[in-house]
Amino acid sequence: MSEQLIQNGSVVFHGEKAPVKKDLWVEDGVIRQIADKISAVEGAQVLDARGKILHPGLCDPHVHLREPGREDSETIQSGSEAAIAGGYTHILSMPNTDPPIDTGGMVTYVQSMAMNRSRIPVSVAGCLTKGRKGDKLAEVADMAAQGAIMMTDCNHALQDAYVLRRALEYTRHFDVVVGVYPDTPALSGEGVMHEGELSFRLGLQGIPAMAEEIAIERELRVAQAVSGRIHIQNVSTAGGVASIRRFKADGLKVTAETTPHHLLLNHESLKGYHTRFKMMPPLRTPEDQEALLEGLKDGTLDMIATGHAPHTDFEKNLDFSHAPFGVTGLESALPALYGQLVASGKLDWQTLMRAMCDAPRKLLKLEPISFVEGGKFEAVLFDPEGETLISRETTKSRSFNSPWLGETLKGKVEQVFLGSSKLI
Amino acid sequence: MSTQELLQTRKDLLTIGDLSREEILQILDTAKPFKDLFTRSVKKVPTLRGKTVLNLFYEPSTRTRTSFEIAAKRLSADVTNFAVSTSSVVKGESILDTIDTLQAMQVDYMIVRHSVSGVPEYIARHTHAAVVNAGDGHHAHPTQAMLDAFTFREVYPDMKGKRIVVAGDILHSRVARSVFEVMHILGVEVATFGPATLVPETIPSYVKILRSFDEVFEFDPHVLYLLRLQLERQKANFFPSMREYHKLYGVTTERFKILRERGTWIMHPGPVNRGVELVDDVMTYERTLINQQVENGIATRMAILYHLTPEEQKRLPLPEEIRA
Repeated sequence: MSEQLIQNGSVVFHGEKAPVKKDLWVEDGVIRQIADKISAVEGAQVLDARGKILHPGLCDPHVHLREPGREDSETIQSGSEAAIAGGYTHILSMPNTDPPIDTGGMVTYVQSMAMNRSRIPVSVAGCLTKGRKGDKLAEVADMAAQGAIMMTDCNHALQDAYVLRRALEYTRHFDVVVGVYPDTPALSGEGVMHEGELSFRLGLQGIPAMAEEIAIERELRVAQAVSGRIHIQNVSTAGGVASIRRFKADGLKVTAETTPHHLLLNHESLKGYHTRFKMMPPLRTPEDQEALLEGLKDGTLDMIATGHAPHTDFEKNLDFSHAPFGVTGLESALPALYGQLVASGKLDWQTLMRAMCDAPRKLLKLEPISFVEGGKFEAVLFDPEGETLISRETTKSRSFNSPWLGETLKGKVEQVFLGSSKLI
Repeated sequence: MSTQELLQTRKDLLTIGDLSREEILQILDTAKPFKDLFTRSVKKVPTLRGKTVLNLFYEPSTRTRTSFEIAAKRLSADVTNFAVSTSSVVKGESILDTIDTLQAMQVDYMIVRHSVSGVPEYIARHTHAAVVNAGDGHHAHPTQAMLDAFTFREVYPDMKGKRIVVAGDILHSRVARSVFEVMHILGVEVATFGPATLVPETIPSYVKILRSFDEVFEFDPHVLYLLRLQLERQKANFFPSMREYHKLYGVTTERFKILRERGTWIMHPGPVNRGVELVDDVMTYERTLINQQVENGIATRMAILYHLTPEEQKRLPLPEEIRA
């Protein structure tokens, strides 16, 4: 693909409320010309994108690739292929592997594996504390020097406010962001789903919304006091959104993410005790869903991250209490969000682009992607009339724990371009 | 379709909420003639002859298991007990593996007890056998609730407008959840009573929350249903001490006097913590129904087994090697 002409596509440009029909001329992975009408020249590949959306390549700042340690559920290769299938051209891998990524050497190891086995760039996050144990700081500067751009203990929420304080202070000099999973373990306890009338009825131990809300308040308060750079992962509650909104209005530099699942599903899905809906934080209420969407639209929530968490069939076939938390998300995110929010007019492409491309790229310190002449061509071609079947047969991930397993979602990722390579 | 037909096509009993009022009444009506059998010298009927009933207990429970075992035997079924330690989970065998094994043994009825909510429902989805939930996590214990309704009805044939107070640890109780449901469906006014830590605001809205024994006396229940208190709850700070629990929420000697004067009936799913839920004297009180509950448990479980219908078993294909 040295020269390519993409005709009649609806292009998602920055600053345009709706996609605009334009032709794009791409040479060696760089956009040479954008115009209403570009005629094909001899020898160029022509792609008719009529009725399709051309969107910048997606970026997911929260992916569990499970390698090293749990290659039975995912590998860097299978996970990155799942990402490509979902329209992603960049992902951030989480450090809760076995062993965990908590030294500069481990960061280098994952990077070199990713270099060989992934067709898209993979950024690496390191652990904030040694072994994710929450008590002793990991060698943050060493990991940062090797290229780690976020420090996070993933789902091991920091229990100790003192450690959080020192971590946020210490990292200030190394240009890394501290990612926190907002939870108060003493309150979420042995819970497995959102606490409320439904958890009582189902006889499942509840995780109260306050477990997240209190953690967000505390973490933002500490970040504010020590001018730390903090990123809140997996926001699921209306109260959490409200706190972040208030701190942002106060001038705190914080970024926050929510997930497609928390936007699109709620705890009612748990009625049949299906473990593919068991995740942490748990699916909340319809009111929380609304607050998350509102927060996403007004920018309180900067981005959407899938938190892609593969688990084997064996693990997910355990009973509801013993089955692990987590769902896969890379392959379903775009069609699921499109079908339920964009197609129905609840969310526009501009906001989606900010949440799934601009904001996560900024978080990962990547160059922004934009359809401009002279810009790098990194894009996903999405057919809104297509269909995506989420099934064992079609899934690229090694695991099948998608909440949408067996369902056909609206819209389809047709092609993915990264510079001069066409990934699908 | 008549209700009889409706019932004959029900495969599983997982929660009370699955049943209509008519179905509940029909099961209770059937339990009566089964109970009458117990005073005869031959206590058996041939209803389930040739059928296999499996007690699949992931959580130890001698009482419930024995009750089901006797019920199935009095229906002439073959009964097998299959005790699974939850540690097999750690060994790498999933519930599905176990069910596949049992499925191959062509079991007709599975009585399932598990410490995790939802497991009987999960098993029911994966087997042709009729599944009876014999208690799952904090979720449901429908056969207990049915035998309690049967016992209530023996005392008050017209349950409508009668009052029950369910007292104790509601939060962790599958019995409370199922008893609430069955009593509500049968028109009984339901109230509950216990430490605020153990009586969440998320209980069904038809259940009235009482805050003291004075309010219980004011509500004036026909039946006071005491739940067994798990002693480990104290450690998790749900209440400060057994002494204080008994003082505030137990049937003390003084309260027992008032209940006896009023003729209030006492029920308890057993086993009883004497000196916690109630004082010793209550056990010999003529209106304590605890032993009747046990006896009625067998009759009610017979009626439930009688009413469920396993799916037609599909024959498993013969293995490649022995196929002609």
